[in-house]
Amino acid sequence: MENIFEIRDLDLYYGTNQALKKISMDIHRNEVTAFIGPSGCGKSTFLRCFNRMNDLIPDCRIEGKMTMNDTDIMSSKLNVVDLRTRVGMVFQKPNPFPMSIYDNVAYGLRCQNIKDKKVLDQIVTQSLKKAALWEEVKDRLNENAYKLSGGQQQRLCIARAISMEPDVILMDEPTSALDPIATSKIEDLIQELKRDYTIIIVTHSMQQAARVSDYTAFFLLGEVIEFNTTKVLFQIPSDKRTEDYITGRFG
Amino acid sequence: MKVTETMIKKRKVKDRVLQTVTLISSSISVLILIMLFFFIFQKGAGSLSFKLLTDDYWAKNYLLDIPAEQTGTYVKPANLPTDSFWSVKYGFAVTDALSHEKQKLILIEYIDPASPLAKMTDASSGPNFGKAQLISVGMQIQKIGYVDINGDTRSAGTIADQNAKTLVDTLDSSALTLNQAYIKTTGGGIRGSIVSTFYLILISLLLAVPIGIMTAIYLNEYAKYNRFTPWLRSSIEMLTGVPSIIYGLMGMVVLYPVTALFKASGTSILLGGLTLSVILLPTVIRSTEEALKVVPDNFRDASLSLGANQAQTIFRIVLPSAIPGILSAILLSLGRIIGESAALIYTMGTFVNDSPTVLTGGTSLAVHIWSLMSGEQPNFALASAISIIILIIVLVLNISVKLLSGRLRKTWQ
Repeated sequence: MENIFEIRDLDLYYGTNQALKKISMDIHRNEVTAFIGPSGCGKSTFLRCFNRMNDLIPDCRIEGKMTMNDTDIMSSKLNVVDLRTRVGMVFQKPNPFPMSIYDNVAYGLRCQNIKDKKVLDQIVTQSLKKAALWEEVKDRLNENAYKLSGGQQQRLCIARAISMEPDVILMDEPTSALDPIATSKIEDLIQELKRDYTIIIVTHSMQQAARVSDYTAFFLLGEVIEFNTTKVLFQIPSDKRTEDYITGRFG
Repeated sequence: MKVTETMIKKRKVKDRVLQTVTLISSSISVLILIMLFFFIFQKGAGSLSFKLLTDDYWAKNYLLDIPAEQTGTYVKPANLPTDSFWSVKYGFAVTDALSHEKQKLILIEYIDPASPLAKMTDASSGPNFGKAQLISVGMQIQKIGYVDINGDTRSAGTIADQNAKTLVDTLDSSALTLNQAYIKTTGGGIRGSIVSTFYLILISLLLAVPIGIMTAIYLNEYAKYNRFTPWLRSSIEMLTGVPSIIYGLMGMVVLYPVTALFKASGTSILLGGLTLSVILLPTVIRSTEEALKVVPDNFRDASLSLGANQAQTIFRIVLPSAIPGILSAILLSLGRIIGESAALIYTMGTFVNDSPTVLTGGTSLAVHIWSLMSGEQPNFALASAISIIILIIVLVLNISVKLLSGRLRKTWQ
């Protein structure tokens, strides 16, 4: 099994407050890795390390080692914009831009100065197809994205992330704002996308982690308590705290 | 502790009293507003007309020679208004009117093409002496000089305390020949001030809006966590509290050399516009910042996560989303420009200019009022009429701001 990310002894501080403690983990290529844990345990913060979104937060300091395909992605010399084209992200709340469906998907490409209409058309179509949204929107690509339902908006955001042809897609509780039907559509989609992309998903729902992921990490108070294949973690957890959490005794 | 009957009563009374006090206070403020509107409208409504908007302020005077060939019998045109008087002998019609200053006027209503009044020449010495000077409908007859049967030269017109009817009667019955006419345009209009205000708006917005928006972007997007940003922000906030007359002084001293580069001498609309743009900057910066703050952070996150850099995020996503807020900032500034007077007195002057240019002085509508009221004969009616125009503009702007900000709120709900 090939590792795409290798993380060793990662510490993250907000000012003097340590949010992540000595995290070490390998993320496998073309697998779904889920981060679970109670609110405030640092799983979203950790997810934002993968595409350096924590750079935007003042007083945020990160120590340790994190590599992607053996390149150090914590280096200050790294081209962050370039990293973010290879590591896409889908957020908790569907956040399409207030523009047309087409423009939403083409946004990332246009920011890379790709202006050829044919190329754009092709990638937009392909991304929407991959995000299982094409059939629903193919006749109204020029409509405002806010006319779509919440679930469609979230799939549009996935299509938007796919348009950059990344290696990795980070998902930060992508279904927490959606109803059960929209949620199951997204979960099906994750299974599809797994063939082409490495997916890291933060989720509040243990059932979701059990359904969609191959590997699961359990976070508690900024530490990784247990990291294993989803099957093992949910059936024979080795740590008492993991067992307590997944059986619903706290959290 | 037990709640007694008297305690309940006390509480009730206190509640009543406070309620009454707030009611009275709000009635007072509404009453003041109503009084203001009533007062201004009562004084100014009579002077309000479309002509007020299109007329020059200063009257033009013409001293004209009337040609000798003038005998004839002229036929009265059928479509003349009933309140006009027709001179059969000289072929023109006049009517009574009141000036913006409420003085009696005799206005020309119609001139027959063959009438001697249609072929007058300039009588005042100067380059135009002897040249044909056409006079038009709407000008006022101050004086028409004539020779009577006895050979004496006499005067008819407002100068001889006549009205339209007596003027026509006198000329038709006792004038043998007409010799000279003194004709005036009505004046008292505010066209020049409207044009000046327009230039002023153009210059000050053109400067203040781009600079203000860029500053707001720097403060809110680029330098959000910079140590100096709070300092910069509070000094900008302080600028909003500076009395505008101080800005006027500053404009006169500091900005005058800038306008001198454009060959403006003395007070000019350019200088006024520069000064006003300095006054507007804090407002534009503050409101733009508010508009930028309303843009949800997850737009910024989404854009950055797609590999857009900060400039692309700001100019493609954040700024377009903030446009409704920026528009309402511009409308607020418009209100400020229209209402400003103190800073403009030093920088644009108080001389009402009928043909203002960017490099000459002029008055905005508000300064025009000042100028009308500071003279030896304050013209209250005209000042009130201009006030009505300003109030209407401000009202329209306020409604537009409300509509816009309402829409802004709707966008992200």
